[in-house]
Amino acid sequence: MRHTIFGLIALVLLAGCATPPPPAPGSAASKVVAMGDLKNIDIGPMRVARENGFMTVNVSLRNTSSYNKTLYYRFAWLGSDGFPVAEPETWKSLTLYGSQSSFLPAIAPVPKASDFRLEVKTP
Amino acid sequence: MLSTFRLSLIAAVALLVTGCANNSPTLGSKNISYGDTKAVETVTNEFGSTDLQMIAESMTRSLAQSGTLQGRPVVQVYDVKNKTSEYIDTREITTSIKTQLMKSGTARFASDNTDMQSQVDQLKLQNQSGLYKPSTVSKTGNMVAAKYRLEGSISSIVKRSSDYKDVFYKFSLQLIDVESGIAEWMDEKEIRKTTER
Repeated sequence: MRHTIFGLIALVLLAGCATPPPPAPGSAASKVVAMGDLKNIDIGPMRVARENGFMTVNVSLRNTSSYNKTLYYRFAWLGSDGFPVAEPETWKSLTLYGSQSSFLPAIAPVPKASDFRLEVKTP
Repeated sequence: MLSTFRLSLIAAVALLVTGCANNSPTLGSKNISYGDTKAVETVTNEFGSTDLQMIAESMTRSLAQSGTLQGRPVVQVYDVKNKTSEYIDTREITTSIKTQLMKSGTARFASDNTDMQSQVDQLKLQNQSGLYKPSTVSKTGNMVAAKYRLEGSISSIVKRSSDYKDVFYKFSLQLIDVESGIAEWMDEKEIRKTTER
């Protein structure tokens, strides 16, 4: 009985230490680079398209808290080799009201951008 | 015994000296530092670097992606009209917009009002001074006229109370076909900055 309890505790501890699997390549989660924990901001599906030769992105966001939250963000635009094709963007600030869902639209600065990363940080 | 003590002392001093050696590639006061030029600047709620960068970024991308600028047309950029109550170097907004459009490869720019005099002076110098080898002289009458002109304005609404100062900026930009006079593209960028006292 004692062994079983110890075994269960060890299993729970080990499971607690396990790191979550990395996001699948190409998935929405793989495009997000969070600087620290994102507090009360949920990043949902992303719509990626090419319009008039430029890559366009629309990211859905949700404030999971009932209080207003600020999000700092910027996009990094990458070429087919995975390296940036333009200067780093300026950081921007977005306010989401309590429980608000919103969209974050962005347009690539150059036609050769074929991938992106969304850098995000909550204060 | 004494020599061992001396040796230990020398070793300790040498260790201290090398430990204090500055191998950082900096010089000067620790109170001065370089910051991130792309950071969100909220030092005051007057027009700032983040506003300038956001406006230029938003306008350039909207215009480049609109599909209006087909075949890299020549554009004449006019100074942005400052209708706000504060001093804003609007030339820097147009310079940023021009630079980013040029980098996107969607437009070329004709000499604007300030560049025109230098351009005319250089053409006159080359053609009238007799100083240059004729085969290298740029001929007059070959300057390319603009197909579009780009005009913008920035205005603000400022409200104050005992607790708040609220500034609302609105930047408008439009692309007009010079021949027809028709506005082919327009966009706006709005920015609100509030200070709680």
